[in-house]
Amino acid sequence: MSAPSSRPVVVIGIGLFCPAGIGAEGAVGGRPGEVPGFRAQAYVADRKSLKLMSQAVKLGVSAARLAVSDAGGDEVLAAVPAGRRGMYVGATPQTGEAQDLRPALEAATGDDGGFDLQRFAGDGVRLIHPLWLVKGLSNNVLGFASAIHDLQGTNSSYCDGEEGGWTALAEGAAAVAEGRADLVLAGGADALLGAEPLLGGRRCGEAAAFVLFAPADRAAGIPWDASVRDRLDPDEASLGFLGAATWPVAYARHLLAAR
Amino acid sequence: MHDDVVITGIGLTCAAGLGLDALADRLQAGRGAATAFETALPVTLACQAPDPVPDDAFPDDRKAWLAFAALELALADAGLAAVEPDRRTAVFLGTGLSSVTPGELEDDAYPHIRDGRFDVARVASDLSPRHASPWRHMPERVTDEVARRVGATGPVGTSFSACAAAAQAIAEGLWTLRRGDADVAIVGGHDSMVHPLGLLSFVVLGALSPGACRPFDRERDGFLIGEGASLLVLERASHARARGATVRARLLGAGTSVDAWNATAPHPEGAGAERSIRAALRDAGVAAADIEYLNAHATGTPVGDVAEAAAVARVFGEGLPVSSIKGAVGHTIAAAGAVEAAACVAALERGFLPGTEGLCEQDPECRVDAITAPRAVAPRLVLSNSFGFGGQNASLVLARA
Repeated sequence: MSAPSSRPVVVIGIGLFCPAGIGAEGAVGGRPGEVPGFRAQAYVADRKSLKLMSQAVKLGVSAARLAVSDAGGDEVLAAVPAGRRGMYVGATPQTGEAQDLRPALEAATGDDGGFDLQRFAGDGVRLIHPLWLVKGLSNNVLGFASAIHDLQGTNSSYCDGEEGGWTALAEGAAAVAEGRADLVLAGGADALLGAEPLLGGRRCGEAAAFVLFAPADRAAGIPWDASVRDRLDPDEASLGFLGAATWPVAYARHLLAAR
Repeated sequence: MHDDVVITGIGLTCAAGLGLDALADRLQAGRGAATAFETALPVTLACQAPDPVPDDAFPDDRKAWLAFAALELALADAGLAAVEPDRRTAVFLGTGLSSVTPGELEDDAYPHIRDGRFDVARVASDLSPRHASPWRHMPERVTDEVARRVGATGPVGTSFSACAAAAQAIAEGLWTLRRGDADVAIVGGHDSMVHPLGLLSFVVLGALSPGACRPFDRERDGFLIGEGASLLVLERASHARARGATVRARLLGAGTSVDAWNATAPHPEGAGAERSIRAALRDAGVAAADIEYLNAHATGTPVGDVAEAAAVARVFGEGLPVSSIKGAVGHTIAAAGAVEAAACVAALERGFLPGTEGLCEQDPECRVDAITAPRAVAPRLVLSNSFGFGGQNASLVLARA
């Protein structure tokens, strides 16, 4: 069997948001929790779209923006046709925004004071935001970021817990190596603050990290090698559990610390 | 030139019944599988698979059991029942949001909103013992269980790209085999949104038809909810030959794209759909003129069908026979790409083109040759489309064995 032709891949941009900080500031240290100083408005031009983004999506879209800026900005993207620009994302879905469901649940109280499924489906429905479910979809990072940066090419979004972020990096690099794309944004985003009780009390953080992959013969950058995983430190003690952002954050910190 | 990737096993369950023959029989006869569905929501018909959940199953998650049923059928079909230690198996499955049972809604969600907010800590600490842990809602749980059952030592991934998920998972299995990272790939998807929150989410989006699903029809007003699982066994042709497996069809290529347009609406002219189709043709190394049938994503929504038809007409002209099986088996959401890939295999094997159940009078805005009744034409090369909410698209090219 002949393997498909493969070309070397490099990282030309890094966008990091983690509990240690933003960009190079986030490369070392940290404490579980929020990303200090994070304001999505600073990275997302369309304020209206922020209303449709969960915290994980805001972080992911911002990290994608930062990775593009770090690579030299929009002109770096513009040098490659939109159909040759791809995106690979790991993220954890939520079943809609829980708070958006509250009015319908409240309307579902039956005559006996208990839950009434018929009322939930009848009176409750019109109280729910039409995009309730959609806001919880984890491919929203990809949906919004691809529209912002006009990434029209090959893509995927994974939900595999912390493995999803690594799969996004590996498959994103493979898409460039195997010639399906000439630029790929790959990484992960998750915001698990508030989910600690569901995770048995595990300390969590919110984070997102993306890298921009390009073929080595077209751009200068840091060579990608999948075996780097063995040298990465998720450092959960410093950052908390970061879900699908775990490996992209560890990789971005590894690259930034070496700069 | 790369080594062919072939399909050597198919496991399917959907509203047509258990197994690919059940679906093929229905499609060949032009008989839809929608049945009356009782709910307080404005929905009268649905396409439900045979109940997959065994008595006393834990967890009682419909889409998980749909996937397990499909897996057994696929492995038996491929003759891969036993785990071979030196076979590297990859698993890529597409799936959607968790199935939430009415019991969970009542026992786990409802009691915790009295103070005007959801109290997540209380949901966790008071979780009804009748229900599994919140981990049952993690989409990758089924992928991991499938990987465990087949002894996967190759790459494993869960594609979460709405209605394109299963087709994207199939694409990744294909590329994984090509690059030599596995010998066998179990790919496909599973989904069931036939539960209160699932139906609700599509009702509030205005995506469900109160009556019938009518792809490409003037009167189309949404889709019917379906459910199902379809798992395919992929392997390189050389590997299939070496173990004497029967090849059911060849998977020649795949393409993916993003609309990059709007996170909540498809591109009106189907620009992303066109790129996905062209990428799949390029990946397969075939010309548009070689494709003899196209299995459309067409869900019967007003905007989606016309955008897809425009994309198809730009690539293939207006003469290519096109149909959607969603009128027959409903929209199986994250499983749709794999259910429809299986339908394409049936068309290639049996030599017919499925019709479009529900299509009576074609919308002149949909400028394609939309087939209403099944045709006795034996295609050699077909293409299947899947497009997801959020703008992700995937297309697959399949050929007769």
